Amino acid sequence: MADVQTAETRGKKKSKHKKKRRVNVRVDMTPMVDVMFLLLTFYMLTTAFSLPQTMEINLPPNDATVDVAQSNLLTLRVNAKGDIYWNKGTEPPAKIEWKDFSKFVSDQNKANPRLITLIKVDREAKYNDMVDIIDALNVENVTRFSIAPMTDADKTALAKVGG
Amino acid sequence: MPKIKKRRLGVKIDMTPMVDVATLLVLFFMLTTQFKPPEDVQVILPDSHSEFKLPESDVMTVTVNKQGQIFMGVDAQQLRKALFEPMFPNGIQDKDGRMVPVWLVGAVPIQEKDLLQLTVQARVSNPRLRTVIKADKDAPYGPIMDIMNDLQKANVTRFNLQTDLAHDVKGGL
Repeated sequence: MADVQTAETRGKKKSKHKKKRRVNVRVDMTPMVDVMFLLLTFYMLTTAFSLPQTMEINLPPNDATVDVAQSNLLTLRVNAKGDIYWNKGTEPPAKIEWKDFSKFVSDQNKANPRLITLIKVDREAKYNDMVDIIDALNVENVTRFSIAPMTDADKTALAKVGG
Repeated sequence: MPKIKKRRLGVKIDMTPMVDVATLLVLFFMLTTQFKPPEDVQVILPDSHSEFKLPESDVMTVTVNKQGQIFMGVDAQQLRKALFEPMFPNGIQDKDGRMVPVWLVGAVPIQEKDLLQLTVQARVSNPRLRTVIKADKDAPYGPIMDIMNDLQKANVTRFNLQTDLAHDVKGGL
């Protein structure tokens, strides 16, 4: 492992002050380097740089009431099965398929830039449904939306159209 | 006929620079690594396209598991102690049945009715606290609606939903 080679004493005359003998030390670094590479691979593989990623939501404060014209209010309702129904103002709700949803939202917002979207999700629905809808709104750059609890009136309105 | 012997070439490569770099890398990784703490609650996150990252500190997490149970946690241990010690003076049972002091637990099971008061209390102690809802994909929406209601009552109008990055272009319901 570590060889120590003593160099031959050079010079013939031995002077009064002793000359230090040169010692040639050679250490075999291979095992250390091996261990270091193992550590390197270990840390490289276990390090997780990424922070968890989130979706930010801004809701209006509880006491703020905003009057919105009926034509500017798009209500999205999600029933317990995860079907999406939309209506404007007091129109009866109409079902929309998920595959058409993001195009629908962006069309609606292009047609009326002052549109405000209200999302009402049934208590029995899945959390994922809500996240998907908000995500679609975010992707389409729709920032003006709010989340409201689904009331019995909403449920009857949905029941009327078979939701 | 005499065989042609190959001449052995003694190739020596100086490994020193490589080893130097490797040492630096090892040091770097050793110092920066933060081991992922074991998950307190098993949650499968929903996917989204948002790329907003969660801040590293001052985070309050409200976790909802698949069954709709609510857990709450903060990152600072002092705050954990202040918030949850009155509720669990003896600590909380972990998976193996041992009692763990409450400030060592990342997510404490709570009732929905206590959430509003706990949120207000936490935000009084640390006004910079950000609220994150970390809910399971298949959790029922009911408890999450209650949580959002409570947050709104506590004047937390800006909060985050923790998600995974969606790999496809458009999500599916």
